[in-house]
Amino acid sequence: MTLRKVEILVFLALTLVIAVPARAVASVLEAPFQEADGHDAAQEADEHRQNAGAEHAAEEAELDVVHHNSDSIYLDFSPFAIVELPRIFLVRRADDSIGVDFFWSTHAAVEAGGYLALEQEGDHGGILDAQLEPASGEIIMDFSITKHLVFAWIVMLMLLAAFLPLAARYKKGIGRETAPKGKFHNMLEALIVFVRNDIVRPSIGAKADKYVPYLLTAFLFILTSNLLGLFPFAAAATSNLMVTATLAMLSFVYTMMAGTKDYWKHIFWPPGIPILVKPILIPVEILGIFTKPFALAIRLFANMTAGHLVILSLIGLIFSFTNLFGPVVGWGVVPISVAFSLFIFLLEILVAIIQAYVFTMLSALFIGMAAAEHDHHEESHDHAQASLATVEAAS
Amino acid sequence: MIVAQNLLAPNWGLFVWMLVSFLALMAVLGKYAWGPITKALEEREKGIQDSMDQARVALEEAKAIQADNTKARREAEAGAQAFLRAAREDAEKLRNNEVEKTREQIQTMQEQARIEIEREKDSALDALRHQVADMAIVAAEKILHETLDADRQKKVVKDFLGGFSQN
Repeated sequence: MTLRKVEILVFLALTLVIAVPARAVASVLEAPFQEADGHDAAQEADEHRQNAGAEHAAEEAELDVVHHNSDSIYLDFSPFAIVELPRIFLVRRADDSIGVDFFWSTHAAVEAGGYLALEQEGDHGGILDAQLEPASGEIIMDFSITKHLVFAWIVMLMLLAAFLPLAARYKKGIGRETAPKGKFHNMLEALIVFVRNDIVRPSIGAKADKYVPYLLTAFLFILTSNLLGLFPFAAAATSNLMVTATLAMLSFVYTMMAGTKDYWKHIFWPPGIPILVKPILIPVEILGIFTKPFALAIRLFANMTAGHLVILSLIGLIFSFTNLFGPVVGWGVVPISVAFSLFIFLLEILVAIIQAYVFTMLSALFIGMAAAEHDHHEESHDHAQASLATVEAAS
Repeated sequence: MIVAQNLLAPNWGLFVWMLVSFLALMAVLGKYAWGPITKALEEREKGIQDSMDQARVALEEAKAIQADNTKARREAEAGAQAFLRAAREDAEKLRNNEVEKTREQIQTMQEQARIEIEREKDSALDALRHQVADMAIVAAEKILHETLDADRQKKVVKDFLGGFSQN
């Protein structure tokens, strides 16, 4: 069989796999499919509110791509299962004491009393999407385990499971006294050496090795998260703004700690610039300190979210067309939708790798610019500028 | 309503969880994975570099030894050739001497032979002369027996023979 035939068969199989269950679900559900339509969503919510509590998220009629991509306090394996996650609240009670409330699930929190589900307009109904409020007192901070946190932990466990045995191999001498052996070993070593030799060292220079542990962990965490997000029923922790903000904040802290006297001088009193321009430039420089990590967080989050939104929207087109023009057109759209989402999916694989690289590269460059000494300032500055241009072109 | 409200809603609890988890991950990986791995990699890199340096030094040494060897061999060859040439020259000289000596010997022998022959010839001539004289006397005696006495005959023959030998 030629490759061409295999490709066509795979494509047809994918089409069926996506189309058949989707059609089945669509025909069972009476409510029309709409994409994130605020007005209809509100009506839906009203209906759901009438029998709140008994309602389940899996019975939702809407395919809301934004909702699917947002964080939630349950793991959505529908149509098979919905797994609720523990709720943990740091609360100030009515008597002004501070305490921690722990429940194994959202339902448990509501059923135990003490917490009320406040459903908001635009929610899809069901207790799982509701905001929980204590009957008395107030929540100081919501430490509930969320979907993205669970997947972040899964990624961390994967990293530990991959790299601790790898380190053990090196301790045994494989790779230290002999050449690295096996696919697993070579592949992971290539990643480590790539980050150290091609990202961190050229960007930071002499003091590079101090920052290798952070940048290596960040790179592998982001890469694994991004790729994990492409699996069915999984989610990318990096498509959560708070997760990317955490990473960006760490990059920020490292940049601040790396800052030399020179770096601060360039920000607060840039040399070689006319005195009249300084009042303009200094605020820009100060702002620049904060916009860099901000951009890091937004870039990663937006890239990871956008791809998923596009894939889901393309699949959603099938249902929109069915509702608008009838089932025949709906079926007709299936191959096109699948082809496009397949294309975006492949693009997503590329983006997953590029964004991990870009985040790490930019973090390393920011640290490198802050850590640069005056002697080779010009040189490393030039290098940084060149690298920055490359990275920005890539992203 | 903001469509993407859920996506952008800040969740500081998650932030804290992530911070703690990530720092813990970094600590564990840093201590038990990156540390040993990068150390091992550096050791290996150093090992490879050392081996290469050593190989380069060994190569230099080998080249030097080879050059020495070549030089020594050339010298030995040149020596052997010179020796051979000298031997050949000696042999040539010896042979020439030998030839010369033989030639001289032959010449001496030829000379001696010639002298011998000369002497033999002289003595033979003398003997011949005597015999001829005697025969002549005998013949003349027989012819002139009656006319001449012995002394007169001898004088006549001597005069005749004297003129003969001077020619």
